[in-house]
Amino acid sequence: MTPDPIPAASPADLIAALAHAAGLDTALADFPDDVAAAAAQALATTGAIRAPADPAVEPWPPMRPGIGL
Amino acid sequence: MTPHWLSASEAARAFAARTLSPVELLTALLARIDALQPSLHAFIRLDAEAAMDAARSAERELGARRVRGPLHGIPVGVKDIIDVAGLPTTCHSAILRDNIAATDAAVIAKLRAAGAIVLGKTATHEFAIGGPSFDLPFPPARNPWNPDHHPGGSSSGSGAGVAAGLFPVALGTDTGGSVRNPASCCGIVGLKPTYGLVSRRGVFPLSYTLDHVGPLTRTVADAALMLDALAGHDPADPASAPTEARLFGRDLGRGVRRLRIGFVRHFHETDLPAHPEMTAALEEAARILAAEGADVRTITLPGLTEFGAVNRVILTSEAWSIHAPWLRTRPGDYGQLARRRLLPGAFIPAGDYVGAQRRRTQMIAAVEDAFRDVDILLCASSMDPASRIEDAAETARTYPRQARTPFNVTGHPALAMMAGLSRDGLPLSLQFVGRYFQDAMVLRAAAAYERATDWHTRRPQIG
Repeated sequence: MTPDPIPAASPADLIAALAHAAGLDTALADFPDDVAAAAAQALATTGAIRAPADPAVEPWPPMRPGIGL
Repeated sequence: MTPHWLSASEAARAFAARTLSPVELLTALLARIDALQPSLHAFIRLDAEAAMDAARSAERELGARRVRGPLHGIPVGVKDIIDVAGLPTTCHSAILRDNIAATDAAVIAKLRAAGAIVLGKTATHEFAIGGPSFDLPFPPARNPWNPDHHPGGSSSGSGAGVAAGLFPVALGTDTGGSVRNPASCCGIVGLKPTYGLVSRRGVFPLSYTLDHVGPLTRTVADAALMLDALAGHDPADPASAPTEARLFGRDLGRGVRRLRIGFVRHFHETDLPAHPEMTAALEEAARILAAEGADVRTITLPGLTEFGAVNRVILTSEAWSIHAPWLRTRPGDYGQLARRRLLPGAFIPAGDYVGAQRRRTQMIAAVEDAFRDVDILLCASSMDPASRIEDAAETARTYPRQARTPFNVTGHPALAMMAGLSRDGLPLSLQFVGRYFQDAMVLRAAAAYERATDWHTRRPQIG
């Protein structure tokens, strides 16, 4: 049996859901334009990065075992 | 020379020669501040009484032939995200309006140990990210070359104050270029040291892996003097490198003869095409350095657009982890610019943050690779002269047009300095970048350029 497709959410609904999940209900109510602009900026910025194809590329700063343990 | 235009090095020599005293210098600076603060708004809080007490103490010590260090009796402006014991650290925000610092930040303790006098807390973009803003508890600082223009940011008051002769040296912080931008806009010297060289303890964080503390000065020699005082290992700062103290000005007189300088032309030619006057200033700087004996060659690094994106993803993700509690409960207590610049962190998935940190590893490798063939990089700092401060659209257009964020991403030492004046009388700028912990080499190249030009002698016609 094929599962029912998930209905597509409008961008505004999606942003509202993400903002709610982030605990930003007050900001969403009082500053909806700022929340929408922030979501758009986040999307644009993450899309401008070429993620390394090589899984061996580790993040910076390097892990430092023994520090803080 | 009038006392307010003396560099820290010159003032120290005048103190030693007994031709000037710390009280006389501070008195002259306070008079200038009194005259110019109403138009420049460099200070959030001036601590004149405590500064005068410290100046009198410094004067008594000099009389007893006791010199604390190379900055003995030198007044310093401090960006208001850096803790000074007993003073508010507001971060230029209503969020922290009543936040009194209990102890000095590590850099303040080091400056005091070197004899410096804290003059007050200087204006910043809100939390070092939101500005210039007119909806905050304090007005934004303005540019001494033309108060209708932005002094750069986020260390705005530190840059404006040094350029206006309100204090000879100042502290700023630099997460995406915030020491070097005001230096570029105000025609002074701004140094972002190697990541880990200067402690960030007691500095309100914006982005843990991108934050740096650095000096703003009118001369390269003063930048070296400040770095001598500021650098050193701090076990309480997790990013602090186990470095030894050194004299960063030791090579200032060596010049650039036979130095290999990599000119990153694509930053200002194709990545973000610069204002023609900025391009001309950069080409002229390359010509001057070649005439001084440097081997100037064109090199290629990763593009500015991606450097900027990596910086923004990391910065906003880390900043969100700091600001989320207030953004959830008090979003209206931020100015709009800070709110808009901090909220994106809520919408960046963890995987994209780690992806940006992985891309960062590759970008660091690319810059390190370039340093196999050259000793120093020369590139643009800002692509445009300072925007009009009340023209929000122009500021929004020009503010990201810069080549400073790459070296927050990589952590290499980078210095911005004046490289000319536009037809409108606003400073033009350039940037030198060095290998890790070769901050002295950066200062050496900058000093050679400074000697070969007279831009550092130009002063804004204000006051």
